Amino acid sequence: MSREKRFGFLVDLRRCIGCQSCSIACKQEWNVPVGRYRAWVKQVAKGMFPHTRKSFLPILCNNCEKPICVMVCPVLASYQKPNGIVEVDPHKCIGCRYCMASCPYGVRYLHPDLGIAQKCNWCSHLTENGAQPACVAACPASARIFGDLKDPDSEINRLIAQNGVQSIKPEMGTGPRAFYIGLDDITVEVKAQGHELMHLSE
Amino acid sequence: MSMQSTQILYDIHNGETFGTLIAIYFYLTGLSAGSFIISTLSYGFGFERFKPLGKIGIVIATLLLAAAPMFLLAHSGQKLRVWHLFVYLNPTSPITWGSFLLMLYPLNCVVYGFFMFRGQKRLTRTFGLIGIPLALMVHGYTGFILAFGKARPLWNSSVMPLLFLVSAMVSGIAMMIIVSAIRDRFFTKEHALNMDILSALARMLGWCLVFDLFLTSTEMAVHGISHLGAQESVALLLTGPFAGLFLLLENLMGKVIPMLVMLSPRARRAVPLLLLASILVMIGIYTMRYNVVVGGEYIPLL
Repeated sequence: MSREKRFGFLVDLRRCIGCQSCSIACKQEWNVPVGRYRAWVKQVAKGMFPHTRKSFLPILCNNCEKPICVMVCPVLASYQKPNGIVEVDPHKCIGCRYCMASCPYGVRYLHPDLGIAQKCNWCSHLTENGAQPACVAACPASARIFGDLKDPDSEINRLIAQNGVQSIKPEMGTGPRAFYIGLDDITVEVKAQGHELMHLSE
Repeated sequence: MSMQSTQILYDIHNGETFGTLIAIYFYLTGLSAGSFIISTLSYGFGFERFKPLGKIGIVIATLLLAAAPMFLLAHSGQKLRVWHLFVYLNPTSPITWGSFLLMLYPLNCVVYGFFMFRGQKRLTRTFGLIGIPLALMVHGYTGFILAFGKARPLWNSSVMPLLFLVSAMVSGIAMMIIVSAIRDRFFTKEHALNMDILSALARMLGWCLVFDLFLTSTEMAVHGISHLGAQESVALLLTGPFAGLFLLLENLMGKVIPMLVMLSPRARRAVPLLLLASILVMIGIYTMRYNVVVGGEYIPLL
């Protein structure tokens, strides 16, 4: 097919069980350094006993339509492909961390040994060759759906059309292309504070 | 927020981005821009009263601007690739603007200083006037770096470039008051302080502090009633872990008290008080850089 794709990502939060299989699959696929994550599942406890529930929010790069990280990169190391995926050229990046500072989703990190910024690229080495991203393939609940937003028959387009979908921080105006079914504002907004933060980033 | 109890169980924070090194870098470029502008008051604009500060001002401005990029280099993850900044250009990135400003401005400083020490008045004046916009840009662009960091509500403000320029003037003038006093006391034949210059600098500093305080409180007030993230950033500075640094060190000791000293004709003639207030201002503006850079990214994004 010569038609250009525009990839998108959908997480069906009604299905997510918070098992972190996606986080582990991502770590294995990309050999992500200790203490750094490209994709993870934020977990929040909501409510008071007995009316309680754990809420899960898988986080990954949104591969935005108007990526701020690409706009501010001073050496053109971050770039957007025609299929929408935002990549970091490992040979160009100087490790200034401006992309990390400007990303509203905090999904980039500096590789401690290589000294360059890295991020989730929806496993472009797999997805551009017709396979699924590692996290999608690993999800036991089929909560993660990856596909072509330009293909009207794709599963992701069907689910987006037939369900209410949200994205995280759409007001940032970057055009996030990771969508969620059943996104919970409280889970998005609650943040770690002070000593908790230190503990979590260990 | 809801009335429910919510508790975070697991989340990831991928680490600090700019941190103290960048705060120091901003502080040094600010000091440099401020002292350059003081230097051009006599050699560029013809205010003869400030002539004794012309030469020392440009020497300090050049040295500080030579030191400042070292902190950028220390911060960079791939230090041998800094030449990429001059080869792969991104016109929408303030850091790309900065890589050229950081070359042109010190170069202009050296040329301007060269003609000044050679005593060639017209050329000195020309390069002094060329240097003014460069000095403003070399510090103004650092404000843009933060303002374009749209993820962080404290940075993402159109006041930021102006606030950075004003605080550059504030810290630069405070440093020149100290420099002028040391120079007069130890490096002149008379060993007598030039009260005329000190008083004029003090008055200028006083009014710059008024403007700085106005911009800072504007920022706090508007962010304080803005969206959730902005409110959180204001709460961090006013009641959170940064309250002591922000309220006491930066604003009370670093701005309000020195402002009162500088604007009182009697207080600013008391040299020990004037010098103490100037030191407080320099500490206060460093604290401001720290609060903005480190405080700005203190609150996790998700």
